[in-house]
Amino acid sequence: MTGVEQSIGERVALWLRQLGVMTLKEFPQLVRDRPVFAYIVFIFTLDIIIAAGQSVELNNAKVVINDADQSMASRELTYRFRAPYFDVAETNLHPDIALSWLDRGQATLLIDIPPNFSESLYRGDEVATVQMLVDTSNANIGFLAASYGSRIAAELGTQFTAQRTASVTALPRIDNQRRVRFNADINESWFSSISELLAVITVACIFLPAVAMVREKERGTVEQLLVSPLSPFQVMFAKVLAMMTVMLIGTAFSLFVIMQPLFDVPARGSLALFFALTALYAFATAGIGMLAATFARNTAQLGMLLMLIVFPIILLSGLWVQLESMPTWLRQVMNLTPLRYFIDIAYGILLRGVDIAIIWDSVLKMTAIGIVLFGVALWRFRRQFGG
Amino acid sequence: MKLRRALVVAQKEVSEIVRDRIYCALAFLLPVVLMLVFGYGLTQEVQNIPLVIVDNDRSAQSRDYANRFIESRYFEFKGYVSSVRAAEPLLLDGDVRAVIVLPALFQERLVSGLPVDIQTFVDGTFTYRLRTIDGYLQAINQAVSGELQSQYLARTTGVSNERAQQALQPLRVETRYLYNQELREIWSIAPALIMFVLTLTAPLLMALSVVREKETGTIYNIYASTITRAEYLAGKLLPNVIVSFINGILLVLIAVWYFGAPLKGDVLFFLVAMFVYVVWATSLGLLISVIVRTQMAATMVTVVLVMVFVMQFSGMMIPVSSMTGANNAIAHSIAAMYFNDVVTHTFLKSGGLEASWREFVALILLMTSFVSFGFLLFHKRSKS
Repeated sequence: MTGVEQSIGERVALWLRQLGVMTLKEFPQLVRDRPVFAYIVFIFTLDIIIAAGQSVELNNAKVVINDADQSMASRELTYRFRAPYFDVAETNLHPDIALSWLDRGQATLLIDIPPNFSESLYRGDEVATVQMLVDTSNANIGFLAASYGSRIAAELGTQFTAQRTASVTALPRIDNQRRVRFNADINESWFSSISELLAVITVACIFLPAVAMVREKERGTVEQLLVSPLSPFQVMFAKVLAMMTVMLIGTAFSLFVIMQPLFDVPARGSLALFFALTALYAFATAGIGMLAATFARNTAQLGMLLMLIVFPIILLSGLWVQLESMPTWLRQVMNLTPLRYFIDIAYGILLRGVDIAIIWDSVLKMTAIGIVLFGVALWRFRRQFGG
Repeated sequence: MKLRRALVVAQKEVSEIVRDRIYCALAFLLPVVLMLVFGYGLTQEVQNIPLVIVDNDRSAQSRDYANRFIESRYFEFKGYVSSVRAAEPLLLDGDVRAVIVLPALFQERLVSGLPVDIQTFVDGTFTYRLRTIDGYLQAINQAVSGELQSQYLARTTGVSNERAQQALQPLRVETRYLYNQELREIWSIAPALIMFVLTLTAPLLMALSVVREKETGTIYNIYASTITRAEYLAGKLLPNVIVSFINGILLVLIAVWYFGAPLKGDVLFFLVAMFVYVVWATSLGLLISVIVRTQMAATMVTVVLVMVFVMQFSGMMIPVSSMTGANNAIAHSIAAMYFNDVVTHTFLKSGGLEASWREFVALILLMTSFVSFGFLLFHKRSKS
């Protein structure tokens, strides 16, 4: 090649080969760092399984009952506090002892049934009152337990009315025939496994390429790379390409080997589109890490800086907190994160079965954000190394 | 072990932390930011749910019913649409999360005492929101239904409205909320977050500080020196424990002043327990640093351990009393559960040593065993 003019085709081929070699170099580096490799395997397998089992539903809440009435009605009420929501631990507990159960966190609900309970219920001339004490030191669980408990009591009351007033004419009633779209059986594991998948992709895409970058800076190997005939773009983009590949393999594995067989998570839209956009998301998100990497001097700084960025993104982009209920300024900040759009895309394709015609605007915004992040990172990187 | 030599290591550690300005700032900033973000993120009430209504009756009563939803702060009314079909693209794009369909003859049937079926379509992609949305729908619907029934009964049988209501619902539940009367979610989340954020940051700081020496190779100076491993570890632990304890105090101040959580119990006992817990968490970081070689790995392992085990089993989300079998056993084997108990008791149940002595003993045992483990596993000669 000495002295011979290279044609454009040759130069492109060389450029691509350089990029390819640089990308391939990342894989052995990744696999040889055992804990990191183990981490990647973990997040796409066991982590998804554990997350899919998480439930916000009230489960097995312990109930203690002080039944001073000991009647059929009171036993009926006790009987209705049962699995899956409740688990009655004791039915004849002295109120003071029952209270200490709540105090020590051994029970969530204490129900006090007065001695005249069944009498007033049958006579119907006065309202039968039951006291319910709720441990609300966990407000969410306490609230659920209280509202389910009230509902159980209300149903029992309505049944007594129906028995007593069977002769009375029918009453007006509004029945809500509810239908759940896109997840008819309310399978919680669909939501939680997909949301965990998005979260782990986000964490990995922000952390891994950024740390790989700073490590080269810290060890000085980046200087070696920059005196080689590689452009800063090739050095950075190779890391992102390697990451995209790893994420695609991981996502495919999670989806086909774990989420579909174990939890029946559907893929109603085009899978090709889903994987293409996952790759695009990995690119856009890696831009965040790359940009952060240009600010940090060593891995310790970077690790903490990234945690400062990652946790707000995961919590506030719409996976945990719905965007509609956040203040406007915060929503606007979150509109700058790629995850906010990928949530629409991923749930849209997998659960709602939409195609590009409906989500094109999210795709466009996500791409634009990725390009800007990557561009700024590249600019800073070039400036730092005078490349 | 000579105290003086341990203090020299500690001094070196302190200047290392202080001289890296950014690291030093982040060591204190990270817990604070995490506390604020989680505190905000975990307590957001579901509201402003975008909703459209299909009203096929267009009567006074159907408009009345629709207004209950339009006026509710839980829903954000996006307008009437002509048919379910017109609402479909809105649901698909996620612009609307609920559609209510009121049938023709809505008013006519209700006035003549007949049941009416309405239809609601709810977006089921985000299941945890679904339950809340469902709860709101049900509550509003039941309220309207109950009013209609007692009015109808009062009108047809000639009794008072109050009497009619009582006849319809002869059983009343008096609910009393203990420890957190107003059901403020932040009151229960903020104390648990002190535990959570400490469990995340204290091991991280310790692990990073040991692994950094491994990664940059300065640890060979230690390997080669006459300093014993006890001296080295004590010198490493001390500054990191102090940093994390200061962070713990910052978190308590945020919980009390910013989030307004009540601190009802014995503060002195709580600080002692928090110190024990911080020592435990820091030695967890030491254990992590023994296993991993790179700072990236240290960060990842810490985050995974904490996110998976602490969130799941400490009782901060799911009460330990409702866990069964293996889950219950795991919960009782992690220090986070005991400290979470102490935090909750101190903040909300006016607890102190008397109420939490069991947990305190467990924390001391776990702390001692983790420090000893760290000491046994840390070798001055690297394996390879």
